[in-house]
Amino acid sequence: MSPFASWSGGFGAIFLSLVVLIAVLAPWLSPYDPLVNNFDAAGQLRRLAPPSAAHLLGTTYYGLDVLSQLIHGTRIVLIVGITCAVLIALIGTNIGLIAGYYGGRVDTVLMRATDLAFGVPFIPFAVVLVALLGPSLWNTIIAISFLMWRSTARVIRSQVLSLRERGFVKAARIAGASDMRILYVHIFPNVLPMALLYVSFDIAWAVLAEASISFLGFGDPHQTSWGQMLYLAYVSGSIRQAWWWTVPPGAALSLFVIAVFLVGREYERLANPRLR
Amino acid sequence: MAFWLYAARRAAHTAVTLVLLLVFMYVLFRLVPGDPTTIMLGTGELPFEAQQRLRELWGLDRPQWQQFVTYAGNLLTGDLGMSFYFRRPVIEIVWPMLLNTLVLMTPVVVISIVLGVVIGTWLGWRRGERIEEIGAILALIPRALPVFWIGIVLLALFAYELRWFPIGGMRQAFFFPETWYQELPFFDVARHLVLPVAAGVLTSMADPLMIQRTALIEVKHEDFMTHARARGLTERAQRRLARRTAFLPVLTYSAIMVGFAFGGQVLLEVVFNWPGIGRLMVNSVSQRDYPVAQATFFLMAAAVVTLNLLVDLAYGWLDPRIRQ
Repeated sequence: MSPFASWSGGFGAIFLSLVVLIAVLAPWLSPYDPLVNNFDAAGQLRRLAPPSAAHLLGTTYYGLDVLSQLIHGTRIVLIVGITCAVLIALIGTNIGLIAGYYGGRVDTVLMRATDLAFGVPFIPFAVVLVALLGPSLWNTIIAISFLMWRSTARVIRSQVLSLRERGFVKAARIAGASDMRILYVHIFPNVLPMALLYVSFDIAWAVLAEASISFLGFGDPHQTSWGQMLYLAYVSGSIRQAWWWTVPPGAALSLFVIAVFLVGREYERLANPRLR
Repeated sequence: MAFWLYAARRAAHTAVTLVLLLVFMYVLFRLVPGDPTTIMLGTGELPFEAQQRLRELWGLDRPQWQQFVTYAGNLLTGDLGMSFYFRRPVIEIVWPMLLNTLVLMTPVVVISIVLGVVIGTWLGWRRGERIEEIGAILALIPRALPVFWIGIVLLALFAYELRWFPIGGMRQAFFFPETWYQELPFFDVARHLVLPVAAGVLTSMADPLMIQRTALIEVKHEDFMTHARARGLTERAQRRLARRTAFLPVLTYSAIMVGFAFGGQVLLEVVFNWPGIGRLMVNSVSQRDYPVAQATFFLMAAAVVTLNLLVDLAYGWLDPRIRQ
C-alpha cells in the first residue's frame, strides 16, 4: 500500500469528523439564525451582500447569512446520509439474505422486484414521490431509500449463494440450527463487510440524491440544506454574481462525497486484503 | 438453450416488468388527493351535479381496474391522454421534447465513453506508477460533484462572466448569423449544447473510465498480450490491442449508462433550461399536470428497461453460457 492511499483515507476521515463536529455544534458555531432575514442599519434587507467581516460568506438574495446556512446544512447531510444508509442496509441486506438463502420461488419473486426497482429511473421517481407525498425531509428520505436498496440486495444475494454451500453452513444445519439462526448468526457476519462497504457508498449517493431533489425545488421548505441553497440561488437568478452563495454549498457537497469515497476505498482495502 | 428461446424469455420478462411499472405508476398517481375534476377545475367552483356529470363523462365513476385497463389500452395506441395545463394531447407535447432530450443526451454519452476509454486505457497501461494513482483519484473527483453545481459554475464563468456561450435554452429566438460559420445549419443549437454537454461528460465519464482501466489491467497479463510482446509489436500496437479487448465491459455498461443518464439528464435540463423531457417532467409535477408527468415518467422507465433488455440480448448472443 502506498503512502498516498493511506493519506487520502486519512483526509477523508478528518473531513468527515469535522462535518460531524460542525453538525453537533451548529447552533453555537453559526453567527446568525440561518432562517432569519438580516437588515442593515438603515432597515434595508441585506440583499446579496458580498463577504465582509459581519457576514464572512456574504448574504443571500433573501438577506440570509450564507455561512450560517452552510453550517446548518451539515445536519441535513448527516441526517439524510445516516438514515438512508441504515434503511437501505436493512432492506437491501435482508432481501439479499432471504433471496440467496431460500432460493427457488422466493428468490425469483424478490429478484424480479429488484429488477423492477432497477427499471425505475431514480431521480424522476424520487421527484414524483416527494411531490405526491408533500415535500419534507422525511419524505425525501423515504423516496431515496425506496429504490436505493436494489444494488445492495443483488450483491448480498450473490455472496449468500456461495456461502450457503460452504461447510460451516452445512455443519450448522446438521447440528439442527433453524433457518433464522443459520441466516443471521452464521451467514450474516460473513456478508457484513460487504454490506458495510455498500452502506458507506450509499451515504454519499443518498446525500447527492437529497441535494438533487432539493435543487429541483422539492426539498423541505423549512430546512436549510446545501441543495436547497443552490436551488434558491438558481431560481432567484443570483448565480451570475453571487459566487459566495453558490460556491460554498457546492464545494462542501463535493468534498463530503469525495471524503466518503476515500474512506470507503480505504475500508475496502483493509477488509479485502486481495486488493492490496 | 437456443438464442431465440432465450431472447423470447427475456422479452417476456421485460414486458411483465413494463406492465408492473405501469400499474405501480398508476397507483402512485392515484394517491394524490382529489381527481381530475378538482385538479382541472379548481375546488368548489363547480356545482356538485356538474362535477358528477364530468366524472361520468370521463369514466371516473367506474372501478379503478376498469380505468386502468382503459388507460393501458389507450397507451398502446399512442394516446397518452390530455394535458391539464396545455389542454392538448400529451403525445403532442412529449414527442418534440423527447427528441430534444436525445439531442443533448447522445453527445454526452458518446463523448463520455470515448474519453473514458482513452483515459482509462492510458491509466491502466501505467498501472503502479505514481501518476496512475493520482490520475485515478482525479478521475473520480468529477463523479462526486453534483452535476447541477458543475452547471451553475460553468454558467457563471462561461456564460455570464466571459459571455462565450448562451445562458441556457436550445435555440435563440431571432438569431441572426453574422459570419459564414454562424450560418451553418446547426450552429445555434451547437453553441447552446457546449456547456450542458461539458457538465454531463464531466460527471458521466468516470464510470466508463474506471471500468476500462480495471479491464485493461486484467487484460495486460493475458497470454495473448505476452504473445504480442514476443512478436515484437510496438508499444502503441500493444496498447491498441489491449484497449480493444478491454472495451467489451464498457460496451455492456454503456447501455446501462444511458438508462442512468436520465437521472442526470433531468438535472442538466433544469440547470440549462433545455426544453427536454426531464425538465418537462419536473415542470409538470410542480404544475400538477399529472397526465404529462405520468407519460414522461413512464417513457423514461420504459427506456431504461428496454436498454437493459438489449444488453441482456447482446450478452446472451455473445456468450452462450448466459442463456442457461
